Amino acid sequence: MMMLWGHELRLFLRQRIAVPALLLMLALSCASVWAGLAEVARQREVIERIQPKQAKDEAAIAAWVAKEGDVGNAAYYTFHATWDSPSSLAFAALGQRDIAPFVLRVRALPLESQINESENYNAELALPGRFDWAFVLTYLAPLLLIALLHDLFSAEREAGRAVLLGVMARSTRALWLRRIVLRAGLLLLALLVPFIVGAVIAGSTAAMTAIVAGIAAAYFLFWIALCLLIARMKLASLANAASLAMIWLAITLVLPGLALLAVNQAIPVQQGVELTLAQREAVHAGWDKPKAATMQAFVRDHPEWKDKATFTGGFHWKWYHAFHYLGDRAVGEQVKAYRTGLEARDAWTRKAGLVLPPVGVQVVIHRLARTDLAAQLAYQDRIRTFHAALRRFYYPYIFNETPFRTEDFAKAPRWPAQKTGQLATASQERK
Amino acid sequence: MSRTRLIAANEWRLMRRNHVARLALLMLLALSAIATFTSIAHRAESDALRARFQAQADREFDGQPARHPHRMVHYGHFVFRPMPALAAFDPGVDAFTGNTIFLEGHRQNSANFGDVRQSSLLAHFGQLTPAFVLQVLGPLVLVFVGFGTIARERESGTLRYLKAQGLAARSLIAGKALALGGIAALMLAPALFSLGWLVVVEAAPLSGALLLAISYAIYLLFWVMAVIAASSMTRDARSALLYLLGLWALTTILVPRIAPDIALAATPLPTRLETDIAIQDDLRRIGDSHNPNDPHFAAFKAETLKRYGVTKVDDLPVNYRGLLAMEGEKITSRLFDKYNDTQFTVQARQGDTATGFGFLSPAIALRSASMALSGTDLDGHKRFLEQAEAYRYAIVQELNRLQAEAVTFADDGNRNKDPEAARRVRIDPKHWHDVPDFTYRPASLDERLRAAVPGLALLLFWLAAGAAMLRLASRRIGAAL
Amino acid sequence: MHETMTQATSTNAELATHLLAENSSPPPIEITDLRLVRGSRTVLNGLSIKVSRGEIYALLGGNGAGKSTTLSAILGFLEPDSGVIRVGGFDPVLEPDRARTQVAYLPENVALYDQLSAYENIAYFLALSGREPGRSEMDGALDAAGLQHEARERRVAGYSKGMRQKVAIAMAVLRDVPVLLLDEPTSGLDPRATADFNALLNVLKARGTAILMVTHDLLGAADCADRIGFLAQGSIVDEVRPSEGIDVLALHHRYGERTAA
Repeated sequence: MMMLWGHELRLFLRQRIAVPALLLMLALSCASVWAGLAEVARQREVIERIQPKQAKDEAAIAAWVAKEGDVGNAAYYTFHATWDSPSSLAFAALGQRDIAPFVLRVRALPLESQINESENYNAELALPGRFDWAFVLTYLAPLLLIALLHDLFSAEREAGRAVLLGVMARSTRALWLRRIVLRAGLLLLALLVPFIVGAVIAGSTAAMTAIVAGIAAAYFLFWIALCLLIARMKLASLANAASLAMIWLAITLVLPGLALLAVNQAIPVQQGVELTLAQREAVHAGWDKPKAATMQAFVRDHPEWKDKATFTGGFHWKWYHAFHYLGDRAVGEQVKAYRTGLEARDAWTRKAGLVLPPVGVQVVIHRLARTDLAAQLAYQDRIRTFHAALRRFYYPYIFNETPFRTEDFAKAPRWPAQKTGQLATASQERK
Repeated sequence: MSRTRLIAANEWRLMRRNHVARLALLMLLALSAIATFTSIAHRAESDALRARFQAQADREFDGQPARHPHRMVHYGHFVFRPMPALAAFDPGVDAFTGNTIFLEGHRQNSANFGDVRQSSLLAHFGQLTPAFVLQVLGPLVLVFVGFGTIARERESGTLRYLKAQGLAARSLIAGKALALGGIAALMLAPALFSLGWLVVVEAAPLSGALLLAISYAIYLLFWVMAVIAASSMTRDARSALLYLLGLWALTTILVPRIAPDIALAATPLPTRLETDIAIQDDLRRIGDSHNPNDPHFAAFKAETLKRYGVTKVDDLPVNYRGLLAMEGEKITSRLFDKYNDTQFTVQARQGDTATGFGFLSPAIALRSASMALSGTDLDGHKRFLEQAEAYRYAIVQELNRLQAEAVTFADDGNRNKDPEAARRVRIDPKHWHDVPDFTYRPASLDERLRAAVPGLALLLFWLAAGAAMLRLASRRIGAAL
Repeated sequence: MHETMTQATSTNAELATHLLAENSSPPPIEITDLRLVRGSRTVLNGLSIKVSRGEIYALLGGNGAGKSTTLSAILGFLEPDSGVIRVGGFDPVLEPDRARTQVAYLPENVALYDQLSAYENIAYFLALSGREPGRSEMDGALDAAGLQHEARERRVAGYSKGMRQKVAIAMAVLRDVPVLLLDEPTSGLDPRATADFNALLNVLKARGTAILMVTHDLLGAADCADRIGFLAQGSIVDEVRPSEGIDVLALHHRYGERTAA
């Protein structure tokens, strides 16, 4: 039995197209993994690099704020760093991390005007999308698979060997199965080996790596099935190649493009801008509203400060934070609507992924790598939690009118380090 | 010439009978139509929406009640980037850049709410626009239609037969190229319609639209030549198809993705967060307004007192706090400009590196020219950022000037203690009306042309390369016949 | 020979009992009243042929007489509308895998893998049929088939038609099956090669192989066949034994016009 595999391997490797195709797959896979690892390393380096800078910035603010001890200044001027470390699979699917910020500073002022900040990135470079492993898998691997499988049967027919093979083979099914497994298997191997090496380097768990490898294998199966389906029509090799390339074009480029068009048309998300405009109005109107009413509204949400909500004079940080808080709250519904819109777009994309395997593969891999829209929203959720913690940290100083000193800066909440077990966090994000 | 036309006519007849070719062409035309209509509608809708938001922001600014001018500095303003008419043909980076910025004092906010950040990862598959259809799908359809045009004749032996009839290789190639060129022209038709519509209805600049049409025509012509050359130089039709598919995947899918990675690795861009910190750091070094003994602000105070010939700030005819705000804004704004310049320089260098890959990929060359001519390249966004920053500085300084001139120093100091002073510092809202509205000045035709030069030059390079390939192919066929 | 053969190639106990129960080996090729209709055309119409062990049977006929159809039916690629085919006792449609173990087939144009040598081609095809011949075994078969030594390591891309056929014959020899089907074996061979080929057929015949060849070359068939069947409109219209002395010219006159049609 092993003998036959050896024969088939020799036969395959001596085909003109075989070795170049396998080497190309290997080279592309290596290059994409390398590029992904380099990008992830750069992102980690950025996160590392900002820590001392942030500490220095905080120290400089503390230096002058602590003198007067005015907590209002501390809360107003101190930015707190947050970051979203790439997961150990992010190297394979860089996703939206190039256009959404993965480091962001927030302060204890209204969050809605801070949380949608963008990163400085070169839009022209982001336009074509990144060269990562998921891209090689979704777009390029099928093309190479088509190159290897389009003439599986037709080449034997055209060379006149089909009958001889039929007579000689004890089982023609086994013969074709061997050939398919060999051709697709070697290609898959050339694609997966660099990925697995990359996953080991990136410290991904064996389970995660295996799941991604399984997805790649399933995706290969889909394309093999398509090749076999076309082969059933018993066309010439040439017609097979042309038909398969057309199908590739349709399901990797055209249909996803149409799907994007449909999703974005069906679910408009202009609430983002609207809520930002509305939030500004709400916050600034606070300056002109009766102060007592403002404090009352604030205390309704923060009963713990009921007894401390009074002050004298035209300005007090208590009041300032109260109406800023209320500004955020005023657009709560819109924030929810915006968020729902984004999630609906994501949900429809997942549905498109059920019909279009290339989309499905991208969706699943980016989910596992936590580089999709959901991951971006999850980061925002963590920022929201952190922001709430910041407010809870500053409020006692503000409402108890406690002076804020150098040592108090160190007591401020710190952005929590991320867990590395991805499956756990990935499922948490889903909630 | 008539022989050339005869060959072309015969080729068209064969193409009509070729199912794959017919299907590919019909699909492309259908997609072009869909892309054209949705893109025009989307542009009109987005632009109207942005205009509406801009009007709302202007109205809200003007409608603010009597306020302390510094309140208005922080109330700030929103500006929106309009979408140029030709963005309906090639939206370029529009979706990848935020289209609105919140402008306020001492801070420079980012442009937010770009479409792509609000989209699922479907956006990574490419947006179906007239430009995308021609840039990416167009060449592939030409490959499908034309890969066998000469290779099949060679396989079936009719090539020898034609030679026996006394046909020169040049006429044969010219005829085949004419036939495939006809298909390319057909593919270009929806784009021409779209451009024409934009010129007539949306008042897009005619010369820009014309140059766009020419750029796309050159691009498709290159592919026509490449397909014919490959078809005549390969062993058989299948090799021609595989080579051409490889060439397409390499130049249209692979290189455009690899180029940005290399450009980013070569010249990394600092994050916003780091820039923010660096600016704060510089600011403290130049002059710390919170430090009463700061040398910079001490000198500014001394100089101001001297200019007005008084000894105390209370005696100044203007509100010293307003002057201080203006001075502070001047410093921060200068720093913003400095860091922006650095950022734009880095981005320009990255862009140059990426465009350099246009020597490996005609698609990159075309995209560069196309975005520049449509006014949707990074330069367009940069122009918006720069104009927004200039506008921000202008209105903030205008408000600071109002604080200096319309609010007294004494009232400003007592506004939180004395309700009367608090009333007096709130100045007449008619001043908000006097602040001019933001008007975005789009790139002039001249600027667009200049930005398009590298891309256009690269396209001409590819045209020459295609012609050279065709010559070689013609000579080979002549020798082989 | 036949019994040892089938037992050697089959490990199936059921098969062995089946053979024992019949108590006499079935004829290698037995076609009875075969009818095959394709579309509106009756291609085979009551065809009956029986080939015994160690017999060479030549099936003669012109284009469209049903020669290729007969071969395809024996190989199990076509299903007859009625009638019975048995190859080594097996129905090629109902038991294709078993029937296939009984047959070696030599196509008119032998197509091999150009990127492999003669040895590698033989090793590959034999492996497909479940055998692993050693180098000396292959050399024996290639010697018998008459392929020159120096060519055997070379890729077959540069082989002539005769050389390819020799490789295929070597495969048939190595498979050592009871039935050999030949499709126009001597067409395109020069007289010398044809003589070599006939000698080889006699070697196989002596080993007990039943050989069915399909041809339109009456003279060639008369040289080697034990029986010649004339196929016309889907059935055997005449059958002769060259050993009993035949008038080739007369036969050619009688069937020549039809066979050449």
